[in-house]
Amino acid sequence: TAGNRTFHFGPCRVSISMTEIRSGFTAIKANIQARDPIRTLSILSYPHSLHKGKSLDRCCITHHLFNFYVDKVFKHCKTEDHYINRKISSIANSFLSTKKSLQQCHEQNRCLCGQESTEKYNQILANYEGLDVTSAAMKSLGELDILLDWLE
Amino acid sequence: EDALLPVPQNISILSTNMKHFLTWSPVIVQGETVRYSVEFQGEYERDYANESWIPICECSLITVTVCNITEDISATVAYNLRVRTELGARRSEWGTLKASLTPPLMKVTADGYHLLVELEDMGPAVQFCVVYWKKGQESWMQQKVVKDVSSVVHLDSMEAGADYCVKAQTYVEAINRSSSFSQTQCVRVQGDMSMWMVTALISS
Amino acid sequence: SGQLYCSLPNPRNVHFESINMKNVLHWSAPESTGEGVLYKVKYSVYGVGKWIRKPECGNINRTWCDLSNETSDYEEQYYASVKAFLNGMCSEWVETTRFNPLTDTRIDPPIVSVSSTEKSISIILTAPEKWKRSPEEESVSLCQVYPGLQYNVSVLNKQTKKRWWFSISNNTLVVPRLEPGTVYCVSAQIHVTTPLLLSGFSKEHCIATLKDK
Repeated sequence: TAGNRTFHFGPCRVSISMTEIRSGFTAIKANIQARDPIRTLSILSYPHSLHKGKSLDRCCITHHLFNFYVDKVFKHCKTEDHYINRKISSIANSFLSTKKSLQQCHEQNRCLCGQESTEKYNQILANYEGLDVTSAAMKSLGELDILLDWLE
Repeated sequence: EDALLPVPQNISILSTNMKHFLTWSPVIVQGETVRYSVEFQGEYERDYANESWIPICECSLITVTVCNITEDISATVAYNLRVRTELGARRSEWGTLKASLTPPLMKVTADGYHLLVELEDMGPAVQFCVVYWKKGQESWMQQKVVKDVSSVVHLDSMEAGADYCVKAQTYVEAINRSSSFSQTQCVRVQGDMSMWMVTALISS
Repeated sequence: SGQLYCSLPNPRNVHFESINMKNVLHWSAPESTGEGVLYKVKYSVYGVGKWIRKPECGNINRTWCDLSNETSDYEEQYYASVKAFLNGMCSEWVETTRFNPLTDTRIDPPIVSVSSTEKSISIILTAPEKWKRSPEEESVSLCQVYPGLQYNVSVLNKQTKKRWWFSISNNTLVVPRLEPGTVYCVSAQIHVTTPLLLSGFSKEHCIATLKDK
C-alpha cells in the first residue's frame, strides 16, 4: 500500500511506512542536524558503516535499532518548536508500529540474533553512551536517514 | 462565572480531498466568542512519553469547529484526539475521540474498451482498494490498490458488450483501518464499434 | 606578518547541487568583495575525523567545485567547506549542511522510445545512469541504486485529447486496444517513492497507430 514497504527478513515479514517516516524526517532534517555540531563521530556508522554488516543478521539489527529509537532516542528529542515535535511524534509512532511487528517476529523465533548483530548493537550503544543523553539522542535522530538508507 | 464550559460534542473525523479533519459541534455561550484547542496522542506518547498530549498549534484557540489533523495521525498506530472549549481563562473538560474512516466517492467510466475510475481525493495518508469484476462473474473479482488519485486511473481492458462493476474502500495506514466499500457502480462497453469510432462518426 | 587576517566576509550559500549523483559544490562570492577573490575547498566524511583538502579546488576563482569523485560512495554522508582569500585577508570556513547523495540528488527524466502496431503502442523507458568517473567505468543505472524506482507514464490521445496515466515498475508498457490511424503522445517521469524523488517529465514522443488494413 502507498508508503508502506514490506521487508522480508528471512521468515519475518514487516511492513514499514517508509514514505511517512522519510517525509517526516525530511521536514526536520536540517533543523535536527544543525543541533549536532560533532562531525567526527557517528552513532550508527562508527567505526563501521551499517552497510558493511553481513545480511544474515539484518532482522536482528533492525529489531535492535527500532527498539533503540523508541526506547532511548525519541523521548530525549523534545524541542522548543511545536512543528518539529509533531513531526518527531509522527516518526516515533511509525517506529513504534514497526517495533511491535519486529517484536512478534522475535517472539516467534523468526528474527534470530547472531554474534554480529549483538556486537554491532553494543558498538552503537557505546557510541550513544559516549555522549550526554540529549546530544546522543539528537545525533541519533539526525542519523535516521542512515538507518532508512541501509534498510532500503 | 467560573462554571465549567460545556465539552464539545459530536467529535468525529471527516476525510475529504486527501485530508483528515477533526470536527465537532459548536458550543454556544450567549454573547461570547468561544474558542477551541485540539491535541493528539499517539500510541508512542501514551506508552513511552508519560501519556503526553501534543498540541496542534494551527488549532489552538480557534473559533472554527474543524481542524486539519492529516499530518499528525500518519502512523499505523491507534490515536486519541481531544478538543476543549476555551473562553478567557475558563476551560471545558476535554472531549476525546479514537480515529475512524468513511468510504470514498467514486466515478466509473468506460472509454472504448478501457475501464477507468476516478476517486475522491481523501488525503495523502489514504489509499484505495478498488475491486472490479465482469457482471455475472462475481467469483472472479480483481483487486487493484490505488495510491495516487490525482488523475483518471486505468483499471483494465474490457470485452465488448459486457457489463463491468466496480466498488472501492479506503485504507489508512495511520490508523490501520479500512472503510466499508462504496456503492457498486457498473458500466457497459459498447458493442464491437469502439466509442471513438462512434464519436468520430457522429462528429464528422 | 604573514599571518592571514580572517576578517574577509564569508562565502555565501555554500551547498551541493547534485544531478544523477554528480555532486558539485556551489557557493556565492562574499558580499561586496569585487574581483580577485580566491577560494579553497575541503570536505569530510560524516563520522570520520579528518577534513580533506581538494587540491584541484585550491586557490580557484570560480564558485563551484566538482566533488563527485570524493562523494561517490552513497552509503556515506558528507560535509564540504569553503574559505575565501583576498589581498592577504581570508574568511572563515563556511560549511554545507550534511549531504546525503542518496536522498539529496535530483534525477533526470527517463529516455522514452515508442513503437506502434495497428491497435497498440509499445513504450520502452530507460532510467539515467549514475555519475561515473570515466566513460570506461562500468555504468550503473539508477534503477540499481533505487530498487523502488517506478515510471509514471502519460498517454495522450491527440484526437480526443484524453490522457491516461500508468504507473509501472518495469521499463516496458504495451497499451492495447487502441484506435487505428490515431496519434498518441507519450511522456514519462521517474518516481522513487522512498526516498521521495521525482524527475521532470521527458519530452513528449508522438506516434500514430497503423491504419486499418
